[in-house]
Amino acid sequence: MASKTSTKDIITLRGSAAIVSEFFGYAANSILYNRGIYPEESFTKVKKYGLPMLLTQDENVKLFLTNLTAQLSEWLESGHLQRVVLVIMSKQTNEVLERWNFSIETDKEVVEKGVSKEKSDKEIMREIQAIMRQIASSITYLPCLDEQCIFDVLAYTDAEVAVPFTWIESDPKLIANPQMVKLHSFDTKIHKVDTLVSYKNDEED
Amino acid sequence: MITRTPVARKRRADDISNSPLVIYEDPPELPLSSYEPSSSSPSEQMLCTYQCRQMVKSEFLDNLGSAEKQVRDYKTKLESMDEVLSKTEAERKKFKDQFFYVEQELAAAKGREKALQEQLMKEVTDSQERIKKQIQSFSELEVKHQKEVSLRKNAESSAASAKDQASTLEEKLSRVSESVERENTRLQRDLTELKNESKLSISRISADLEKMACKANNAEKESELLKTQLEDLREQLNECMHQKGDLEKKLVDFSFQSQVGSPRQSDILVKHLQEELRNYQTEVQEARKLKSSHENSELLKEKLLEEKGRKDRAEAELLKLQEVLLNSKKLEDELMWWKSIATDIPGISCAEDVLIKFAALQKEVIVNMTKVGEVSASLKQMEVALEVAELGKQQTESEAALAKEKADQAISEVKRLESMLHSVGEERDRLRSDALASKKQKHGEAETEPANGSFIQELEASLAIKETSIRELEKKLSEQKEVSTRHSDEIVVLNERLHNEARRIKSLEREGDRLRSEISLLESKLGHGDYSASSTKVLRMVNTLGVDNEAKHTIEALRTELEKAKEKLQAVEELKGKSDTGTYIDSNISEKLAQLKAQIATLEKREERYKTVFAEKISVFRRACCSLFGYKILMDDHQRPNGIPVTRFTLQSIFAQGEDEKLDFEYESGNTSLLENEYTSDHEVAQQVGIFIKKYNSIPAFTANLTIESFNKRTYC
Repeated sequence: MASKTSTKDIITLRGSAAIVSEFFGYAANSILYNRGIYPEESFTKVKKYGLPMLLTQDENVKLFLTNLTAQLSEWLESGHLQRVVLVIMSKQTNEVLERWNFSIETDKEVVEKGVSKEKSDKEIMREIQAIMRQIASSITYLPCLDEQCIFDVLAYTDAEVAVPFTWIESDPKLIANPQMVKLHSFDTKIHKVDTLVSYKNDEED
Repeated sequence: MITRTPVARKRRADDISNSPLVIYEDPPELPLSSYEPSSSSPSEQMLCTYQCRQMVKSEFLDNLGSAEKQVRDYKTKLESMDEVLSKTEAERKKFKDQFFYVEQELAAAKGREKALQEQLMKEVTDSQERIKKQIQSFSELEVKHQKEVSLRKNAESSAASAKDQASTLEEKLSRVSESVERENTRLQRDLTELKNESKLSISRISADLEKMACKANNAEKESELLKTQLEDLREQLNECMHQKGDLEKKLVDFSFQSQVGSPRQSDILVKHLQEELRNYQTEVQEARKLKSSHENSELLKEKLLEEKGRKDRAEAELLKLQEVLLNSKKLEDELMWWKSIATDIPGISCAEDVLIKFAALQKEVIVNMTKVGEVSASLKQMEVALEVAELGKQQTESEAALAKEKADQAISEVKRLESMLHSVGEERDRLRSDALASKKQKHGEAETEPANGSFIQELEASLAIKETSIRELEKKLSEQKEVSTRHSDEIVVLNERLHNEARRIKSLEREGDRLRSEISLLESKLGHGDYSASSTKVLRMVNTLGVDNEAKHTIEALRTELEKAKEKLQAVEELKGKSDTGTYIDSNISEKLAQLKAQIATLEKREERYKTVFAEKISVFRRACCSLFGYKILMDDHQRPNGIPVTRFTLQSIFAQGEDEKLDFEYESGNTSLLENEYTSDHEVAQQVGIFIKKYNSIPAFTANLTIESFNKRTYC
């Protein structure tokens, strides 16, 4: 969780990075559950953000997400992360079906000068809760994923960032003429996360 | 109105000390108070005995008691007086407050009155200025009106002159039209004469024609007769020729016979024959004559035809002649007419002057017309201005009436305020007198009277100071007024600025809308996943879960296979210990090996066959593709520098004019993208790329269009 000073409303860069990376972890879990990428039985219920959240029990996925959030947290602290995209693809054809786009805007002043900002934990949680609710309700409008799907996570970083050992450069895995739905956003006053889901337009087929 | 109650007068202490206060003392040195009863005279005192003394004592005691009572009464009275005093003091304070309040009110009223007076004065001056302005504008308008009236008169006079000119011109026109009518009648008469003449000439010509036709008919008949004669003569000639031939034959026979017969007979015959010959010659001559006459008749026929043609031409020419005559007459008439006009128009000596005069007249007419138009326009403008002026006048009148009403109201207000001021002044004076009276009242009693006096003086002084301060305030007020006028000017300037700013705000709002739309566009692009490669890098984790899982599965499968192989090896080693079984196993193994080799060989053969079949099929497919879509397609797998496998397709059109006309495409995870090369960076092709691929995102459309383009080039060149 975010490391806070004695006054609860102060938020530091590290704390903000922790909140955002944790949010990615929970958001990825929620997407994987709601979009049926992994079977329902492999998820357990926990309470988070004032909501019942589902977390995967698949060790591989857990490990993947842990590594991912750790790396994201590092990038968030250095302010080099621009965007995180969770891509859902067809297992057979590798065709990209959905892109869950989390755009991140980092307050450069905080990164450069190390100043802290003020925002209540409660308010941030409320904003994240709204996004989580939207992710859960996205199944109502997103097209049904009939085939077996896999997922991948892309990180858009600054060009000068050194590529970590476990990461490689990739194509952006775009969808041609996608449908887009903008979800809520949340702001820790240091990182602002805008959520958007784009998906393959079925009408074109 | 503030009700004033007269201040209760304090009763003096003298009033309450009516009863005598006796202090009994023996010696008569000290005189008793002046209020001692008249009964106790000094003569009586001198006669006083013990009894008397006792009596006096008792009396004194009684007096004392009564005096004590009186003292008590006085005390109570004093207390009550004190209370009354405190009350009066409170009342005094109240009155003082009221006084101050009244003074404040007075000051406020004065201020209000002044403000009202100033406002009134201002309004009056404003209204006067307005009235003056209105009067000025009215006088200006009157002047304008007079000017306009004069202009109107001028315009009317010019219109009248124009009308006169128009009437003169009309008269001229009527004269000209009369002359034209006269000319017309004359021309019609001439025309009828000419018609009669032409009819006569036509009848003459037709009679001649009939004569000629009769002649021609006669000639024809004669020619026919001559023809028949000619034919008869021909027949005769032929017969003669026959007879001549026969005669010659006979002559020959006869000469032959004459050699044999008598010469007399022959001479006779010869003579006879010669005569016949002469006859025939004459006949021949006649026939020749007939022939010549026949030729003459043919000549006559031709001549007749020629004459007919000439007659037709003459008729046509006659018609033309009539037209020409008409035209010439018309021209003559026109000439006459123009001459007559020239004679009619004053100041014209020759035909050229007519044109000049006519142009001048036209110009004059145009100028007059424009003048009339201008005059009418100015008249209308004047009318409009007059109406506006009248409206303005009415408005000013109404404004003046309003201003008068306002002035009346202001005067009444001033009067009211003056009366109020007067009443307030009166009240103030009354209050002042009251205050003075109360001061006088207090003067006798209270010890603080001088202090009160000084206090009142102070108050008066402060009042004077207040008045001076009021004047200062008035000055300040006037300054403030100036400041306020300046402020109002500034406000006007600021209002203008505000308008400018509002305009700027509107333009900025428009700009904002544009920028918002741009932002939404960029947001949509962002949502799509676009990024700038110069500033952003896309990364993904190397070991994706699927690959991990697959690798684990294969590792597990390999492990199980390894274990199985190990078990088998152990079993084989155990069996090798026994020789029989070892040979048996060896043979088994060799058999198995042979079987497996055979299987491998068959499989290899099958693979080769498959390969050949595939190669055939793929070549067929490629050729079909090439002939159907017009492109030779080359496929090539390779890896990017970052290790991502991609398939590259090179397309070459069958209509390409050079080897370098190639299109390179990269295919990766369902997405095909065009790679830039020299050919695609060519202007024409780049334009097509821009339209079909970048704008409409359609590679097939691009390739199809390119095919058509190169086909056209190939075929039209």
